[in-house]
Amino acid sequence: MDSSQPLQTAAAPVPTTPTVKPTRQANRELRALIARIIAYAVLTFGALLMLLPFFWMISTSLKPERGVFSMPPEWIPNPLVFQNYVDVWERTDLARGIFNSAFIALVTTVGEIFAGTLAGFAFARLRFPGRGTFFGMLLLTLMIPGVVTLIPTFILFRGLGWIDTWLPLIVPLLFGSAFAVFLSRQFFMTMPSELEDAAKVDGCNFLQIYWYIFLPNAQPVIATLFVLGVIARWNDFLGPLIYLRNNDLFTVPLMLANLNGGYESQWTLLMAGSVIALLPIIIIFIVLQRYFVESVTLTGLKG
Amino acid sequence: MAAQSLPGRGSLARIETFWGYLFIAAPITGFLIFAAFPLVASIIISLTHWDLLTAPRWAGLDNWREALSLSVQPLPFATDEATGERLFRCGRETVLESAVAGFADAVDPRTDRPIVCEARTTQASTVLPAGMETWFDFNIGENQYVVGAFDPVLWEALFNTLILMLAIPISLGLSLALAIAMNQGIRGAPIYRAIYYLPVILPIAATALIWLWIFNPDYGLLNYLLREIGLPGNINWLQDRNTVKPALMIMGVWGGLGFQILVFLSGLQAIPRHLYEAAELDGAGGWARFRFVTWPSLTPTTFFLLITSLIGGFQNFVQPYIMTAGGPGNSSRTIVMLIYENAFRDLQMGYASTQAWFLGAIILVITIINFTLARRWVFYE
Repeated sequence: MDSSQPLQTAAAPVPTTPTVKPTRQANRELRALIARIIAYAVLTFGALLMLLPFFWMISTSLKPERGVFSMPPEWIPNPLVFQNYVDVWERTDLARGIFNSAFIALVTTVGEIFAGTLAGFAFARLRFPGRGTFFGMLLLTLMIPGVVTLIPTFILFRGLGWIDTWLPLIVPLLFGSAFAVFLSRQFFMTMPSELEDAAKVDGCNFLQIYWYIFLPNAQPVIATLFVLGVIARWNDFLGPLIYLRNNDLFTVPLMLANLNGGYESQWTLLMAGSVIALLPIIIIFIVLQRYFVESVTLTGLKG
Repeated sequence: MAAQSLPGRGSLARIETFWGYLFIAAPITGFLIFAAFPLVASIIISLTHWDLLTAPRWAGLDNWREALSLSVQPLPFATDEATGERLFRCGRETVLESAVAGFADAVDPRTDRPIVCEARTTQASTVLPAGMETWFDFNIGENQYVVGAFDPVLWEALFNTLILMLAIPISLGLSLALAIAMNQGIRGAPIYRAIYYLPVILPIAATALIWLWIFNPDYGLLNYLLREIGLPGNINWLQDRNTVKPALMIMGVWGGLGFQILVFLSGLQAIPRHLYEAAELDGAGGWARFRFVTWPSLTPTTFFLLITSLIGGFQNFVQPYIMTAGGPGNSSRTIVMLIYENAFRDLQMGYASTQAWFLGAIILVITIINFTLARRWVFYE
């Protein structure tokens, strides 16, 4: 990202003043201060707007059923009604949905990470004919819009009798993903070769080198793939929508969409259900926050 | 590699090749089954009629003709059969041209508004090829034209999808401004970052429910806030053709802003400090520093965000599916919604594949154009 051209164009015309006057220095500090104050104001106002929907959701979820129709709305309901949470928990299968979503998300993500990092290791450190071609093929997958492959994939799984099972949601990811291969390859290429060479001298085969040396050192990539994978699968809507029919197999997003149809305008219950559905993800986010930031640095800049 | 200098390199290379193929076997198999095969298969399926219940029937290019055919026809003015005089509609009445003058000062008793007279045109179905329906009509000067298609809903959905994507530049501008604000060395930047990022990781199925409630015309938060600041707060956000797209865009910006801020921030932090110092020594003000240092350094970041947002925007589905089901009418139906409905509700696999490939081709062309244009504005070191 080092861009030197603006520097040259900016530096060329006028020779710089040898001394910076104190007033100018003070001026600059004042301007920086004003900039910071404006930044705080804008960011705080924006952050409040961003949080408002969540506050509205929580506020509604704690109101009595008729309470949502009072105008102006009560921001902090009095009394707080926690019964909505009990009701929505008892009347729906959210507990099962959370289990289903978590199971699918974990199995797919772990599979994706293993298959992806193994191939990423091969593309980064092993030499074999056709390496570049195969890698290029995988990169192509990143460019294919999912909707183009949707229908034949559905027909394939239907032919296998996998409709109304989790297999169509899980199996494709057990083959790894182009994204995981790409990300881990980029990471493994930067690792020093000394350890690898020492292991080779000790008679380790490539699987052992991957397992004992590269995988344990790939923690940033694994963490990134883990948070992105779990979130993507947890939030996936279209896949479960077209493959699942039986309520017992439903994931959280599918249940929420059903809840919307089933509890028309019972906003207190809908919002309590949303809070429950969002909690697991929010907890993951708070605990693993820095990996979300890292994921962007790892993927965004290289994209 | 050390192995190269050792004797027996040939067998070592064979071993390395063996392990290499073994390790990449899974993703390559996955690529063949879940990318290459479906990509080819969907072209073939698009050439058939297939409801999955009976065997596919060969359709040739029928589906493609049905999806893509457009026809622009002039729409002649309607005339009275007896006199050949042009017909006008004034208010609720149909009158001859000669009678239009009589309505000059007329006022509609029910609405108290002056009555407007408009020339009547012939039915669009009489000028369009058989089987086509009106997509939209327009006029150039006096002359009316009608644009017809076999599947006007597809074109409407394409139009809707594009309109919803107008949120992308808005969102990019906002997130750039917020990222710059966060980069002013302020305290609590990680907290701001987390707040803006939060909606990005939440399931749209859940946040869509929250926004459904916010957009509620009677008791929703948005209308209430509009009333509080003195604006008309009786907007039927999601049930009105004119507001449903802005409503979806508002939620879309809210949901996507955080990701873009994060990417812009990492771009901003990668700009070397000495560039700013040099610019400052030259007396560059805030705007000049942005224009000549920040912006050029951020163009690759912006380009990355633009490409990914466009590809995502063309595949917009969950949000309108849950919040509006495409309504009112077809005014928020997106292409992927249409493909979903054709394939999995109406079991028209052939036609849905055609639409999917049509969308895929549009995305491909737009992406290629973007990469070509990128040479003019994206600044690589």
